[in-house]
Parts: sequence; structure tokens; C-alpha cells
Amino acid sequence: MRKFVFRRLLQLIPLLIGVSLISFFVMHLAPGDPTSLFTDPNIDPMDLARIRANWGLDKPIIIQYFYWLGNVVRGDFGTSYMSGQPVLKEILERLPNTLLLMVASYILTLLITIPLGVISAVKKGKWFDNLVTVLSFAGMATPSFWLGMMLMLLFSVKLGWLPAVGMYDPLIRDQGVGVRVLDLIRHMILPLTTMTVLSLAGITRYQRAAMLEVLNQDFIRTARAKGLPERVVIFKHALRNALIPIVTILGLSLPGLFGGAFIIETIFAWPGMGRLGVLAIFQRNYPLIMGIVVFSAVLIMLGNLLADICYALVDPRIRYAKK
Amino acid sequence: MRKRYFAFAVLLIFIAGCASPSPQKDKLIKLPDPSSADPHGRLVFALGGEVSVLNPILSTDSTSSAVEGTIFTGMTKINEKLEVVPDLAKSWRVSKDGRVWTFKLRRDVKWHDGHPFTAEDVVFTFNSILDPKVNSVRRSDYIIDGEPIKFKALDKFTVQALLPKPFAPFLVRSGMSVIPKHLLAGIDINTAAFNRQPVGTGPFILKEWVTGDHLTVVRNPNYYLGNPKLAEIIFKIIPDENARLVALEAGEIDQAGIPPKDYKRMKSLAGINVFEFDNLVYTYLGFNLANPKFKDKRVRQALAYATNKDQLVNLIFKGLASPAYAPSAPISWAYSDKVAKYPYNPEKARKLLAEAGAEELEFTILTNQGNKEREKAAVILQQQFKKVGVKVSVRIMEWSALLKIVNANNDPKDFETVLMGWSLGLDPDAYSIWHSSQYPRGFNFIDYHNRKVNQLLEKGRTTMAKDKRKKIYAKLWEEIASDQPYLFLWYPKTVVGVSERVGGLSEPGPAGLMLHLEKVFVIK
Repeated sequence: MRKFVFRRLLQLIPLLIGVSLISFFVMHLAPGDPTSLFTDPNIDPMDLARIRANWGLDKPIIIQYFYWLGNVVRGDFGTSYMSGQPVLKEILERLPNTLLLMVASYILTLLITIPLGVISAVKKGKWFDNLVTVLSFAGMATPSFWLGMMLMLLFSVKLGWLPAVGMYDPLIRDQGVGVRVLDLIRHMILPLTTMTVLSLAGITRYQRAAMLEVLNQDFIRTARAKGLPERVVIFKHALRNALIPIVTILGLSLPGLFGGAFIIETIFAWPGMGRLGVLAIFQRNYPLIMGIVVFSAVLIMLGNLLADICYALVDPRIRYAKK
Repeated sequence: MRKRYFAFAVLLIFIAGCASPSPQKDKLIKLPDPSSADPHGRLVFALGGEVSVLNPILSTDSTSSAVEGTIFTGMTKINEKLEVVPDLAKSWRVSKDGRVWTFKLRRDVKWHDGHPFTAEDVVFTFNSILDPKVNSVRRSDYIIDGEPIKFKALDKFTVQALLPKPFAPFLVRSGMSVIPKHLLAGIDINTAAFNRQPVGTGPFILKEWVTGDHLTVVRNPNYYLGNPKLAEIIFKIIPDENARLVALEAGEIDQAGIPPKDYKRMKSLAGINVFEFDNLVYTYLGFNLANPKFKDKRVRQALAYATNKDQLVNLIFKGLASPAYAPSAPISWAYSDKVAKYPYNPEKARKLLAEAGAEELEFTILTNQGNKEREKAAVILQQQFKKVGVKVSVRIMEWSALLKIVNANNDPKDFETVLMGWSLGLDPDAYSIWHSSQYPRGFNFIDYHNRKVNQLLEKGRTTMAKDKRKKIYAKLWEEIASDQPYLFLWYPKTVVGVSERVGGLSEPGPAGLMLHLEKVFVIK
């Protein structure tokens, strides 16, 4: 197992070089450059050329790439063009905010969808299953910005129970930790609800399908035939096997945790990675884009690795060889 | 296109505009009484974008400028009538030849850290901007025909600027916010930690900056124009326009820009004052004159006759904009409406097109994604031009990609017409937009050249007397309108909703509603 993990980690290096090389070139293929947004009639184009040269953008792209790579190897991801701050600092300022929201939504989603999927599968065709199916499709069809706005109008404007936007209340910043944590939770409720409601549908459907498939298999019939109680059949024999595809899906959706949810973050003014990334792309803020790409790539790979390890935990048929 | 001006950066959120609050039918503006001001009052602003850097010589976005406007001040500033008035400078003198400008500075100013402010700071600021290693886009503002302006401290409180030649727009540019020498000398300004913990001379001091969420500035008790009435200003970053309106309604913020679609609803809400004022901005359709299709002036004039500007403005803005006829704004002191207006006349348009042999005219309107008004306008123009037999297709591109085409250094450029806008500076100088030397590298991207226009532009920026300049610019607008290198479309109005608990507002104008920030207050 340890060897397996080590080998997978080693594979990261060539993969990262490949990912960064491709991203670097694709990024430069997008028309425009970081100075193209400075369109003010008072700015002499020669001055923009000077600023581009200060950033090293006058050099061939391949040379720029090796400069960048050389710095990254030394742990320097460069400085953001727009703020002059280190890229790493910009990312690390946003990452916890994103993780907080995404992980919370992830856990909440799992807590709701797995039982929901299981019950749906067991009660297939009954009113409960039908209700879950209808709600799932309604959830899938609801645009996040609409749901977000409706929640805001209801809970912030009409009822005045919850804050509409942001992550903190600037007015209580000098108060105790307890008050601030409570405030943070209040700010999280609306974006969290929106995200969770929208992601419920997908995983519930997957869980239901996986469960149905397992329930039709021979070993379940055997389990029932030997007189095991239905609860044991469902939760011990069926569920464990039905979790395998869910682990795959969860592993694949891990990068989303890091990438944040641009629309949700924009509507609820949540200072997360999604907004940072999209802004960086609009501004052609190359060092920041690359920083985010590398970070996401590492996270995706680690996510997949984690999923593979989880397989071994949930699936008795999979064991990583000790060779 | 964006424009940010230091002196009136404070309220770039309310960019530009003029005159008195227009009379409102449905609801009168209710302003609170100054005697009920809360000495611990906090005002909450909404910012539509991220704040990137708090250093006035580096920032390039209006959100950063809005915050900088509370922290930094410059030698001069703008008043409600758009005139340049003293700020850090008490007075100034210009030599007869217009080349030597001498500014006498206030002696009672201290930086937020207590260090005294002197002429050295001013000289340091301008020299930093002029330093090629500093990534300041303002550098071009202080270079005249390739030669930099020389700044010198004559004594502790006197600054002299030596211009290579007379240059009227320098007056407005002297309002650049000043940065402290004692904290930045010998440091790489591009990456300085100062840019996140700025120290200025303005009415407010930065207390907290939570990236992407909010910034808090607190009252500067030593502000030279008096103790600000507000204890704090909080800038909340809310990128979504609808979310800003919700937050305004929920009372989480005290101010938000209002798009035309929400105008009626917001105006009927209790607790919110809605202000509307004109802008120093115009939107146009620019013809690529390097393209043979648009070389004939009659074709451009015909398209102007074919445009029903009133319909355009009513459909898109529901009256919250007015038709434009010249490359200036009615609220500018240099505006003149003695220009050819080409009133809507499809018959005449058809006739002119026939005369020019362009009955089969077909072209593409290019505009940027994300600006709903422009996208709508392109489609409406398509319909209006169809009525005179002109076939138009619309192409919508991402902003950077569009700018790349328009600003590419090649001749001819790869577009036919482009629907964009200009924010005008406070000075009417429009050299970079219309002078033939500014093509293909420069902002005369439509390849406009008219010798008379060139002469007027040169004369306009080297003449110092305002009344003389006024005449020069009147002639300039007349000349340009007659050529119609742009089809001038509209002047949008700025509409701002402000909570009724906010008082001490200035006359709504290009400098915003809070020109005298130290006088703004909120009631309990």
C-alpha cells in the first residue's frame, strides 16, 4: 500500500509538467494580454509595451515557460500582475473560504443523498421513491442563480432572518470568537443551502441506481434466502457494494471543491476561488492563472488517489498488491 | 472603456454626471438633518469588483480607486462644477508661457502615521510614476511629446513642475493622489507591502482588508479639512448586480447603482433615495475608415440618418439616457451642441446611400460580451439599418479579445464597425482619440484623419485660457460630427440608490454624491 501511494505520488511530477506546459500555451492562445484592459485614451501604447516588457511578456513563450517553471521549482509562483502580491498568498487567502463552503456542502450532500438513494431504491416505485425522483429532477432543473436570489429575497429582504451577502459582518469584527463564528455560520446558510439543494439530485440518482443494481444480484438473494433480517441485507451487504460507484463520483468531483462555485460565489459575494479564477482569466493575469492550474491539478490527482484508497476500504475485492 | 480619475476617484462608483437631482414625481428625496448625525456612524458602500491594490499610482480599476479616494488626496481636486480647486496645494501659479507651474502646499498636513507631509512627497510621487520600472499606466499622463515633465521641490512646501511645452490638461492631472516618500523610497513599488497597508493623507485610514469580502476605513482625526463625521466606511464587495440591490433593500448596504430595469421598483421603495444624473460617458458605433465600405462620408452620414436614436434610448434605457451627437458630453464645460445632428430620416439615408453607390451595404457590428445595453443596441441598430436596405450582422466578443483586435498594431485593423463607449476625462483634450498620429498604434483605432481636426486638437491642448479653449473645442466637435467617423449614440445616466439615513451629500455630479466625504454622515 505504501509503495503504491509512493509510486502514484512520483507520477505526479511528469503529469504536472505536462499539465502546466499545455495550460501555459493554451492560456497564451487566448487573445489579448494583461495590459489590454487598460484602455484609457490617456495611456500611450508605448507605455503598455513597457509594462509588458517589465513582466517579461516580450520574450518568446517557451522562454517565459521555462522562467516560470524554474521559479516554481524554487517554490516561487510569481506575483499577480494586478495586485503585486505573491500568487501563493492570493490563492491561500481564498482557499480556506472555498473549502469551508464546499466541504460543508459536500458532507451535507452525502448525509442526505445516501439514505435518500437507499430508501428510494428499496421502496422502488412507491410514493416515496416517486416523490424523491420528482424533487431530484426539479433540483437538477433549477438554476443556481435563481434559487439563490429567491432564498435571499425570502430570508434576507422579506423575513430579515439571515444576511444576504458576504462572509463576515464587518460591524462585529472586534467581538469575541463565539460571536464571529456564529456570524460566519449565519452567512453560510444561504449559499450552503443553495449548493446542497442543487447537488442533491445528482448523487441521489446515482445512489439509487447503484443500489438497485446491487439489490438484484445473486448474493443479495442468497442473503435473504438464508434468513438475514432485511436491515442487515440492505445496510451490510447491499450498501457497501453500492457505495463503490459513489466513491468514484466523489473522487471525480473533488477538484470542484477547490475550484469553487463561481456562480454561487458571485451571487452571495463569497470570497472564494471561483471568483478569483474567473477574474484572473478575464484579466489575463497569467501567473495567477498558472498558480490556480497547478494547484487544481495537484488536487485532482490527490483526489483520485484518495478515491483509489477508498476503493480498498469499501470494496473487499480490491487490495493493492504488496509487491 | 474604463476611466479612473484620482481626484474624483472617491465616487467612481457613481461615475460621472451633472447638475441638480432631477425632480421626482413618485417620491421626493428625503435627506436627514445634520443635527441628528451619529458620531459613531458607519456607512456601508457596495463595490462591484475586487479591490486589487491600494496604491493610486498602480491601480487600474475603478473599485480600487473608489477605496483609494477615501485614503489618499492630491494637490488639487474637482468641485461640483467640475472645476479644479486646491486640496493639498493651497494655490498655484502658471508662468506666462504656460510651462512653469508652481504649487504652494499646505503646511498642516500629516500622513496617517504622523509623519509630516512635504513637497518631497509630491516630487517622489510623480518621479515614481515616471520611473520606467514602476508599472504605472499613469506615466503617459506626465509625458508630453515624448518628454517627461520635470518635478522639483523648491522648498519644503513648494513644488515646481517644468513642462516641455504648454499643456492645458496638466491642471486636471495635477490632482494625482500623493504617496509617502518616507515609506516607499528605495522599495520596489510594484510589489511593496504598502499596497495592501496604504498610508495616505486622506480623511480615512485603512483598518482592515479582508480579501474579496470587505474593507474598512476609519476616521482620520487629523484630517486637514476637519474631523470626518463618519466613524467608519465599510466597502463590501458584491459582484452581482442583483445581489447588490437585494442587499440595499435588506439594509445591508447604504448605496448601490441601479440598472434601468430596476429603476421604477427601487424608486417606489421606502427608505431609499434614488438619484439620477448625467455622465461624462458616451457610447458610439465606430466605423473602420481604413475599410473601403466606410471611406465615403455620405455612407456614414446615411447611417446616422437611418438611426432612430430616440427609439434606441427609449427601448434600452426607458428614458435613463439621452441621444448623443458629438464626442463630448453636455455636462462638460467644453460641450457645444452646434453640430450636425442628422435627425432620423430613412428617406434621406436611402438617397445618400444611393449617391454613394452603397445600396448593397453589408457589415458587421462588433461589441463586447457582458454589456447588455450594447448587445441590445447592436440588435436594434440591425433592425433600423435594415429599413434602409443595409444588412448588418452582430458579433459579440469577450472584452479582452475585442480590445486585442481594436488595439492591434496593424493597418487595416480586423473589424468593420465597433460598438463601444468612452469615459471622458475632466479635461476636454481628445488628442489620443482623434489625432491622426494615434493610428494604428493608439486609440484612434478607426484610422480617422482630418488635418483641420489635428490642428484644433493641437491648439486645444496648448491653449491655456478656458474661453479660448471652449471655442476651439466647439469647432472641433462640429468638424468631427460633420465627418461622422463615429455614429454617436447615447449618453447614459447614472442612477444611484442611497439609504435615507445618509446625509451630507453633495450635489449629484461627475464627482459623485460624496465629494465632501468628511461632511457625509448617517443618522442613528
